[in-house]
Amino acid sequence: MRTLLWAERLKLKRSKILWIAVFSAIMVTFIVFMQGQFQYYGHRYIDKATWYMTATQSLGSLYVFPAIIALMGSYMICREDQDDTMKSLVLVPVSISNLIRAKLIITSIFSVVLYTFLFVVTLTVEAALHISLLDFGMVLGFAKIYLLEGICLFVAVSPVIAVVYGLKKGYWLALIFAEMYSFLGLFIGQSTMRFIYPITAAFCVAGYYETTTVQFVISLCSLLACGGLSLLLLHGLNRKRDIY
Amino acid sequence: MDNLIIETRQLTKVYGEQTAINKVNLHVQKGRIYGLLGRNGAGKTTIMKLILGLTSVTSGEVYVFGQNIKGNEKRIYPRIGAIIETPGFYPNLTGTENLEIFAKLRGISKPNAVKEALEVVGLPYNDKKVFSKYSLGMKQRLGIANAILHDPELLMLDEPTNGLDPIGIAEVRNFIRDLCVERGKTILLSSHILSEISLLADDIGIIHNGVLLEENSLAELQKKNSKYILLQVSDTAKATLVLERMFHVKEYSVQDDHTLRLYDTDLDMAEINKTLIMEGISVTSSQLCNDTLEDYFRKVTGGEGIA
Repeated sequence: MRTLLWAERLKLKRSKILWIAVFSAIMVTFIVFMQGQFQYYGHRYIDKATWYMTATQSLGSLYVFPAIIALMGSYMICREDQDDTMKSLVLVPVSISNLIRAKLIITSIFSVVLYTFLFVVTLTVEAALHISLLDFGMVLGFAKIYLLEGICLFVAVSPVIAVVYGLKKGYWLALIFAEMYSFLGLFIGQSTMRFIYPITAAFCVAGYYETTTVQFVISLCSLLACGGLSLLLLHGLNRKRDIY
Repeated sequence: MDNLIIETRQLTKVYGEQTAINKVNLHVQKGRIYGLLGRNGAGKTTIMKLILGLTSVTSGEVYVFGQNIKGNEKRIYPRIGAIIETPGFYPNLTGTENLEIFAKLRGISKPNAVKEALEVVGLPYNDKKVFSKYSLGMKQRLGIANAILHDPELLMLDEPTNGLDPIGIAEVRNFIRDLCVERGKTILLSSHILSEISLLADDIGIIHNGVLLEENSLAELQKKNSKYILLQVSDTAKATLVLERMFHVKEYSVQDDHTLRLYDTDLDMAEINKTLIMEGISVTSSQLCNDTLEDYFRKVTGGEGIA
């Protein structure tokens, strides 16, 4: 597995997808920063401590990052067929199940790194704007939210990765599906369904929404079901392949 | 036979209602080059995929190194190097990076294995050029480098000279020959180019519409090439009448209005010429010919021939 993880990391070298991810993260931080310049009762949003960190995390998680994470995962899985490298891997021989597992692990790490990058950027901006209002506990709390959001959002979009792999119509489909999937979360987030719907359940588990223990467990189960469904789909698809 | 590296028995592959491969019995002997010859779409690649277990067998059996490949992949694959169809690599990586991935996945411990493989095929080591910028010939060379990276006992090369320039083709041909002669590798290669196969292969299998029409050594096939007298005359219809009447010729073929082949080579050519001229038929040429391999393949494949 270590070799597979090493290989998957190397395969991403010079990959445009990584630059798309970095660009999208920077754009999110910039757009939220500009949004923070609007005034509410005579005060700019951004003047309120932690508003920037909260807004960046929610905007990014609802509009941008599910699509980017799904795109990354689908790209990694689908490229073996698109680049026609699968037959060479099979002849090594490499276990397809282990290969897919390694790709999912790298995607989850990518998701966490993306959120860590976002956290570092937003923390730097917050510190530059009002360092005196920030305390260690608050920063640690946000670090936990960002980190968990990175992991949970990956789990929430994993069925999209599996479905796109099964459809074999190109990894860009993941971007569209995940965008629709996460955009729906915007409306479900207003209802009681938000603890169940995987995208908003990720918010609940990460600690963005205040939840009771029962609601937290429901959200956690929803995400676990998502992860389980993805594994089942991927396992089924691997078994179904006639050719490698 | 103990020295059989690949053996297929009644190998059949059906896609829907189309039979792509029909009851193929193929035998590749140790330390020899087997050339699978056939037109495009004849089934060469499908046979290779079936042998490698890359596609499911409808019926029949495949044995590689005396074992059924299904269930023995971990033991058999490391002993095989293959290029099937086009060589697939990661477009954003250089040739060296691509080979390093496969070397590490194969667990190759030998230092410089990648460098040596690239040297053999004439590609630079640690070049900055990424695979997507490679020419077709360079891609093919990289595919061959990947196939020989782990020093396999059996090489399966599907159209290995595809996209190579004439010098490249000659280099690859020499290199394949050396692998067999000097290192004792067994090689199964496919091609639709007759000259390529006839220059390289020890044994030849002719495949046509999914059927293995003939399997024999090159020497045996060359022995089968028939001799004939080629006549260029003013009127083949008249000439055949004269030949039948005067020389009792029965085995002949009319190529066109002016060309005739007589398969009885014991006939006196001077006497034939003289008789035909006396009967008012002009003879522009008469010569004793040997069937080329191409002619033979044309005959075997029912007249369609091979590229």
